[in-house]
Amino acid sequence: MDFTKFTKLSLGLAIALTVAPVSVQAQSDYPTRPVEMSVLFGGTANTIAQLLSETMSQQLGSPVVSIARTGGGGAIGYSHVQGSRPDGYSVVFNSNSINTVHHMGMLPFGYDAFVPVAQISVEVPVMAVNANSNWTDLTQMAEAVSAEGRRINVGISGRGSFTHIASAALFDAMGISELVNYVSYGEGNAPIELLAGRIDAAVQWPGQISSYTESGDLVAVGALGTNEIYSLPDVQSAKEQGYDIDISMWRGIAAPAGTPPEVVAKLEEAARASVTSEAFINASRNVGFEPAFLPAAEFAEVIAEDDVFYADLLTKLGLAQ
Amino acid sequence: MEDFLAAAVLVLDPLTLGMILIGTAIGLIFGAIPGLTYTVALALVLPLTFGLPALPSIGLLLGTYIGGMTGGAVSSILLGIPGTPTAAATVLDGYPMTQQGKGALALGAAVIVSVFGGLFSLVLMVLSVDLVSRIAISFGPAEIFALVVFGLSTICGLAGTSMIKGLIAGVLGLMVMTIGLDALEGVPRMTFGSVQMLQGVNMIVAMIGLFAVPFIIRALLQHWAGVTPAAATGKIKVQFPSLGYLFANWWLIIRSSLIGTGIGAIPGTGGPIASFLAYDSAKRFSKDKSKFGKGDLRGVIGPETAGNAVIGGAMIPLLSLGIPGDPATALVLAGMQIQGLVPGPALFLNNRIDVYGIYIIIMVSLIMLFFLQLLCIRLFVHVLRVPQQLMAVVIVVLCGVGAYAFRNSIFDIYSVAIVGVAGFLLVKAGIPTTPLVLGLVLGPTLESNYRTAMNLSGGDYGVFYTSPAAVVFFLMALLVVVLQIVGTVRKKPEPVPSVG
Repeated sequence: MDFTKFTKLSLGLAIALTVAPVSVQAQSDYPTRPVEMSVLFGGTANTIAQLLSETMSQQLGSPVVSIARTGGGGAIGYSHVQGSRPDGYSVVFNSNSINTVHHMGMLPFGYDAFVPVAQISVEVPVMAVNANSNWTDLTQMAEAVSAEGRRINVGISGRGSFTHIASAALFDAMGISELVNYVSYGEGNAPIELLAGRIDAAVQWPGQISSYTESGDLVAVGALGTNEIYSLPDVQSAKEQGYDIDISMWRGIAAPAGTPPEVVAKLEEAARASVTSEAFINASRNVGFEPAFLPAAEFAEVIAEDDVFYADLLTKLGLAQ
Repeated sequence: MEDFLAAAVLVLDPLTLGMILIGTAIGLIFGAIPGLTYTVALALVLPLTFGLPALPSIGLLLGTYIGGMTGGAVSSILLGIPGTPTAAATVLDGYPMTQQGKGALALGAAVIVSVFGGLFSLVLMVLSVDLVSRIAISFGPAEIFALVVFGLSTICGLAGTSMIKGLIAGVLGLMVMTIGLDALEGVPRMTFGSVQMLQGVNMIVAMIGLFAVPFIIRALLQHWAGVTPAAATGKIKVQFPSLGYLFANWWLIIRSSLIGTGIGAIPGTGGPIASFLAYDSAKRFSKDKSKFGKGDLRGVIGPETAGNAVIGGAMIPLLSLGIPGDPATALVLAGMQIQGLVPGPALFLNNRIDVYGIYIIIMVSLIMLFFLQLLCIRLFVHVLRVPQQLMAVVIVVLCGVGAYAFRNSIFDIYSVAIVGVAGFLLVKAGIPTTPLVLGLVLGPTLESNYRTAMNLSGGDYGVFYTSPAAVVFFLMALLVVVLQIVGTVRKKPEPVPSVG
């Protein structure tokens, strides 16, 4: 009896059942079937993608389905979309991660394996500290840390993650990078450590900490980007406090290189209408991100500029490969 | 009180009640089907909530979560394949009961105690949310590491006939989980330069492989050899344990509820560790241990009570701190945020009515779950009428779909096949599966918390013995190991037939 053969056969059957048949369609009537949007991360990335696919489905008249392809710091989802047919039916909900995973050597291709469709949102990271620290802004924090001369523990989600890179850039600008010890927590666990006082500071997303700044348990000492933050209007940006950095997490849509321009234009238009819709804006305030539509051409510039910036920063941090 | 009544009025609205019912039913079905989990169900229902008002959406999400948490027991008991990781411990005694024709009784007991566990944890949560969230905060990496070590020490009780083989299985489980991109240091481990390997072996995918594939191979082997156990014929009746039996085991049920609630409240631990600890304690504190692993109803009651008691516990950090314990609660959190309910201390100040609403939703969902289960068990038990070789074919399809659905990755389908065949060979070599599962489930938590604790302390081992909570857990783990050694030495080899 040949069981391996049987297992293979059954697996083949299972695979055949899960992969829908693909037929080639004319581009003019795009989209004629559901568009698959690969989402690379959980948390806010997933929430925004779900909201976006809901409104984009209405705009396109064909379902846009967000599908989680997480893992490898985004590498899994990028390689899936990069390897799929450039017909506009498989797109990726991308972010700065395209630049970081590539320069860290986990992805053999970079941002130019994709054509940008539109920027969707921006999340501004903020540096949060426990209220007991009595730090109220970045300058005071830098002075206090230098004066004490002790190493501070800073929570990040993982080495090479966005929170790590952003923190490193800020502390470098503040001149205290020598005194920082990074502690990895995995995604989303840092607020607890911060509240408990086991770490001194952590870069956080506005949606994660607005409840605590309101209750007075945590203090946001500065924002790393310059976009206005709806849920934390009083937080000053690092730039306003005299530190020359401007780092935010942009998210947008990209398609595999070679996707026809008229298809990209249709997706871009649907994205514009979705991001500027009232429902999307209302949801963004609750979730804690800023809607920030940019058309394909401008989005391309953002990605290319960032690529240079992260290549540089990662080399400086010793993370580049 | 006024707020409470206002919340009750909102929840008792037909739309909200309908959504809770739909959610609970969807969760139950996804949980009951091997390969599909409530995490997948939650991802599917989340977009449906965007157009709904706040409480109906939360009703749909929490219903799905609670239904899914409970549904896992069904396939654990009837097929020996856990529907959810939390239900893995239920297989140990639940499946042997089915093989002895007592599957309906095991299911009936699971329904009663899981609803009880859920309600118990809800009450405990409502009464102690402030206090427990403060204690939960004090659980840092060192304490969680100690707790997980304690959890792993239960391998002793699960190893079956040979401690060495049990340890081999446990370590194998720990090793498998190190494959992939290390989340803390961002370093690829054992990926051999492959991008696909960066995603690592998913815990749920590995579990599907470990339990389902050996089931399939065994069923087909038996079929070809012509020794398939006869499928049930005649009337299959749902049975419930007598009230007398439940009262006689009241301390087991309360203890398991406490274990579940307590562990659920600590972020990053959750269901599987609670149900395994509850199983271990059920076995350890009973006078007659001889029937455990061979179909003792207490071995179902312990983990099932604790598994559902995790619900109330997990709500504590979710609501009061905004910290989700696992991917499923992270989706519930996303749904709440979209509705403008941002969990955290401010939620209790600004949205008191919604918080009461959430309490009532959990209660309503658990009650609905009880009646839904009464209906569904009648259907589910008919699975026993299906000849095993046909069931095996259905399971092949479900596993393929389920493994793919979890991360939408073909890689995971290959993982199921590879892990599954390896699992079958291990069983043939007499290496027990359960310690392997424990390693899979606890490995990542164990490793990351150890490393984080050491990083925080600057490499000083002092963190592990200066924290009272950590010391207590380490001592408990030590006690378990010592008792086991003493027991083994005293008994000498006993002529127990090996359990496959």
